[in-house]
Amino acid sequence: MRKNAWKKEQERMKQISEAVKKDQILYYFKTQWPVLLAVTFSGLIYNLGLLAGPWFEGRMTGCLVDILGGKAGYQDMLVLVTAYVMSIAIVQISRYIKRFYVRRFANNVNRDMKEILYRSLVHRSRAELEEEGVGNVMTKAILDVDDCAEGMRKFTTEIFDTGVALAAYVGMLLFYDWRLAILGMLFLPVSYVLAEKMKRNVQRTGAAYKEQSGDLSAATLDRATNAITYRVYGREEERRQAYEANLTDYETSAVKTNIWSTAFPPLYRIISMTGVLFILYFGSKNVLGTGWKIWDVAAFTTFLSCFLKLAVKSSHAAKLFNAVHKAQVSWKRIKPLMKETTYEDDSLVQEPGTLEVSDVSFAYPGGEKIYEDFNLSATPGQIIGVTGAVACGKSTLGKTFLCEYPYEGRICFRGKELSGMTKAEQNGMVGYLGHDPELFNDSVRNNILLGDDDDPEKYLKAVCFDGEVAEMEEGMDTIVGNGGVRLSGGQAQRLALARTLCHKRPVLILDDPFSALDRKTEEEVFANLRKLVADSIVILLSHRLYLFPKMDQVLWMEDGKVTAGTHEQILEKFPEYARLYEAQADGADAHSTQEGGPDHAEK
Amino acid sequence: MQKNKQMQKNKRQNVKNVRSVIRQTVTGYAGLSLGIVLAVAGAIVTALLPPWILGSIVDTITAGNAVPVALVILYFAFTVLTGLTESLREGLLTVFGQKITHALRSSMMDKYTNLTAGELTKQEPGTIVSRFVGDVDTVEHLFTSGIISMFADACKIISILVVIWLKNRGLAIVLLILLPFLYWFTRTVQKNMLKAQIENRRAVGRASGHVPETLHNIRTIHTLGKERYMEQRYDEYIAESYRAVDRTNFYDAIYSPVILILNAIVVAFVMLFSASGNAKVLTLFGMSAGTAVAVINYISQIFTPVESLGMEIQTIQSAVAGVHRINEFYVLEELPERVRNLETPVTTEEETPFVELQNVTFAYEDDSRKILHHLSFQVYPGEQVTLSGRTGAGKSTVFKLLLGLYQPGEGKVLIQGRDAFQIPENEKRSLYGYVEQTFHRVPGTVKDQITLYDDSFTMEEVREAARIAGLDATIEQLEKGYDTLCTSEIFSQGQWQLLSIARAAVAKPKLLLLDEITANLDAQTEEEVLQALKRASEGRTVISISHRVNAETGRIITF
Repeated sequence: MRKNAWKKEQERMKQISEAVKKDQILYYFKTQWPVLLAVTFSGLIYNLGLLAGPWFEGRMTGCLVDILGGKAGYQDMLVLVTAYVMSIAIVQISRYIKRFYVRRFANNVNRDMKEILYRSLVHRSRAELEEEGVGNVMTKAILDVDDCAEGMRKFTTEIFDTGVALAAYVGMLLFYDWRLAILGMLFLPVSYVLAEKMKRNVQRTGAAYKEQSGDLSAATLDRATNAITYRVYGREEERRQAYEANLTDYETSAVKTNIWSTAFPPLYRIISMTGVLFILYFGSKNVLGTGWKIWDVAAFTTFLSCFLKLAVKSSHAAKLFNAVHKAQVSWKRIKPLMKETTYEDDSLVQEPGTLEVSDVSFAYPGGEKIYEDFNLSATPGQIIGVTGAVACGKSTLGKTFLCEYPYEGRICFRGKELSGMTKAEQNGMVGYLGHDPELFNDSVRNNILLGDDDDPEKYLKAVCFDGEVAEMEEGMDTIVGNGGVRLSGGQAQRLALARTLCHKRPVLILDDPFSALDRKTEEEVFANLRKLVADSIVILLSHRLYLFPKMDQVLWMEDGKVTAGTHEQILEKFPEYARLYEAQADGADAHSTQEGGPDHAEK
Repeated sequence: MQKNKQMQKNKRQNVKNVRSVIRQTVTGYAGLSLGIVLAVAGAIVTALLPPWILGSIVDTITAGNAVPVALVILYFAFTVLTGLTESLREGLLTVFGQKITHALRSSMMDKYTNLTAGELTKQEPGTIVSRFVGDVDTVEHLFTSGIISMFADACKIISILVVIWLKNRGLAIVLLILLPFLYWFTRTVQKNMLKAQIENRRAVGRASGHVPETLHNIRTIHTLGKERYMEQRYDEYIAESYRAVDRTNFYDAIYSPVILILNAIVVAFVMLFSASGNAKVLTLFGMSAGTAVAVINYISQIFTPVESLGMEIQTIQSAVAGVHRINEFYVLEELPERVRNLETPVTTEEETPFVELQNVTFAYEDDSRKILHHLSFQVYPGEQVTLSGRTGAGKSTVFKLLLGLYQPGEGKVLIQGRDAFQIPENEKRSLYGYVEQTFHRVPGTVKDQITLYDDSFTMEEVREAARIAGLDATIEQLEKGYDTLCTSEIFSQGQWQLLSIARAAVAKPKLLLLDEITANLDAQTEEEVLQALKRASEGRTVISISHRVNAETGRIITF
């Protein structure tokens, strides 16, 4: 069936390319045609050329007999030997070319598939990726690509190494003596069928072993993670015995799978070799002139050596089918994700303008209302502080602007409704920095610029991070680690803020960007923020209130209601705000740490 | 029976490193070890014979005689024998390798069970897993595809050389000269490949790390419109990996052709020399047609073991590193031998303290700072006591001493008049229950969480514990009740905390130790937990650590 696919592919290559369909496996064979062409040529030369070895070996032996018998001279041997070495060299060089390019082909396919998958992943919405589990599916699919490409490689390799080579050997045997060839090859199918039958056992024991090995790792991890618990509760001896039972199961399954996969192949080889009995017996008769054909010693050795190679090769036939099968399984999983679509992704950074929010309320799909009565009117340059009790929904209010879920009411920027904008327009209007700094495992510089052409220094200065970066061993090129692990919490926050400032938008939502900073730094950064984004509207969510008198407006959230006003107005209207403000005005920096926690838990 | 186990354990404790475990396994399975030696030797010898017989067959034909059927059958019989001995060797090696890994892991687990609490907390769980799983596997490879096959391959090379020496002295000399070069070439290729593979693994790691990172940072990527940038980064990582793979491919693709061309050249030379007709050359290279066929056969046989030899050396090198790490594990500090059959009488009278610290001074081994200075206090049966003090005053340390995790430097820590460190394992649960800030989930069902795999508890006792914790209704509502497999989402954080109360209460301990259990809870859950504790504390001695002191917590000990 696969062979048909291969042929069809060749025919199609000649045709003018049709619509590009990247969810068709043939597409990948097609795009890689120059590489595959090199593979085809070298593969044919190599596999057909394999016959040269046995043929020459036979001729050389024959020639030696002639020389010893005085029928040929040294010159004959010299010619033969030179031709032999030359042909082997050509064959082996072809082999090198074939091997190298088959692997390059697999590499290219692997890369192309991964790129398509990744492109489709990076454009999915957050809700799809996180809540619907698409993220996990795609992560697994990307791993499947490795299997798929490896399967395609093996398929391509085996087409030549097994398919062509087997055919060549069989042809040569038939040419020398078809009766003897058939007799000799009688046992090959037996060995093949047997191996195929045993394959099920190999797979079954292999799967069982994999499971046991997973169990063993899990048991070890549990034992190590909960070591103190087991000790305190006096369960260690029992756990040791349970682990011992795990080990015994593991041993049994490992022995089984290894015996199936290592101890049996030599036995299959014995069966394929059975034909040698006939070849030696009838072949020698041929040489003596009493058999089906008239052979010389050269023909005899060629035939024998051809057969021995065939016996070894035929055990590889199973590999061809295994490879195809494996590739098919993984391809089936990848295929639905490979639909190529075009994406609009560049954000269209918008001009500064006024923001009008009227009667906005929000609830997660299927959930209760988080807040309502959100009204706000802001002009460029204004900084608006948003606060409220712990878990009052201020983070949710900030995220409303991201349009991850629909809101009720109207949010207008420069007269245009936010929910009516394209994704690119939305992204060009709102800049967002959440609790999680979402840093990349890359250098400080790249984390700020993300590929843009700008000077990171001025943003680092603005967030008071320049000094610390300069002290780092590699300065701006220091790698921050996975998720920024190599930075402290405050450093990560400031780096993320620098990134947000570098990608300035007319509306900036900053969710608690200063929570890990000391008061002095916070005030300094706030002052820089005013200067640097003088024509943007900044909505700053915070539970630390000493900066709030400097805000142009304050949004107070209590019992799901949002009230806008100046600091003084809110102070007057809401005793709870006044209480919080007074409590913090005493200079108690400590409050921040206490309040920081629960708010983070909010989704 | 008990004594027997004890002896076994003592015997195991003598095991101190990888070598002794291997030695014990070899002597313990003497038959198996002998079988391997025989199979290895058999496979070498039987593999040598078929080409030899083939040579005679060809010579017989060349001489114009009919080949005796017996010779043909002999040829096939040896081929079969080779296959059988190889199969036997592989099978026995597998069994043997698994015996060794089993013995190693068993003895490592014994060691782990005897580690001091200090060492236990110092070991990263991930590191422990890689010691137990990955490193032990390298030791297995050392046997299945390292030392023994290296020995077999070396024997094969030598025996082929000997046979060739007998058949064609000149060729043996040529091969002797060639082999060192061949070995050097093999190692160079393999080393370079390994280097490229490591580089590739690093690059693959970066590329595959890029995917979860994208998922994690997807909000930032979207709002900043950085999809294309992220794609470019991904392409770069993949390209990096492919440069490394291409290099591996190069070495992989070049090796066999070079070897086979070399093979052809050697055959060509031998043929040329034996055809030279020069008497001097012929004393070294002269041979019959049959010998020529046999020799060609041997030459191609000698190249395979050289290639394997290189791989085996690599396996051995990585195994040596694994063995080294396992041996480091074996020298970690062990608990002092416990005083078995503790004879100190348990004192249960009302007037004697249930828990007593006498003039205790304590410092962690790797920290010279003394945590406790001459601390003394008593807690009487049925008393409810709260330990109070600033962070770092050593409240949790007192618990660790009571739980027998550590021994005090000076003074005594007594529970019911007995040294807390010497309390036998099987008495611990009925003596005290310990509830921490965080719940330590174990793999298994809800019931397993409560019993910690102790089957001696009846279902009724388990239900009672859940009822005390106030979780019974919640558990009954689960699809499979107490047999529900635990995943992190089946309970809320507060409910997990309640489950840890059930775990502590199930053995009806006389003493409850509560460590800051409400620190991470919201007000509602805190209330539930406190209620559960009230139920659990009834009629028990309770010592708790808490920052929030209120009237219900009883006597306060400050230090």
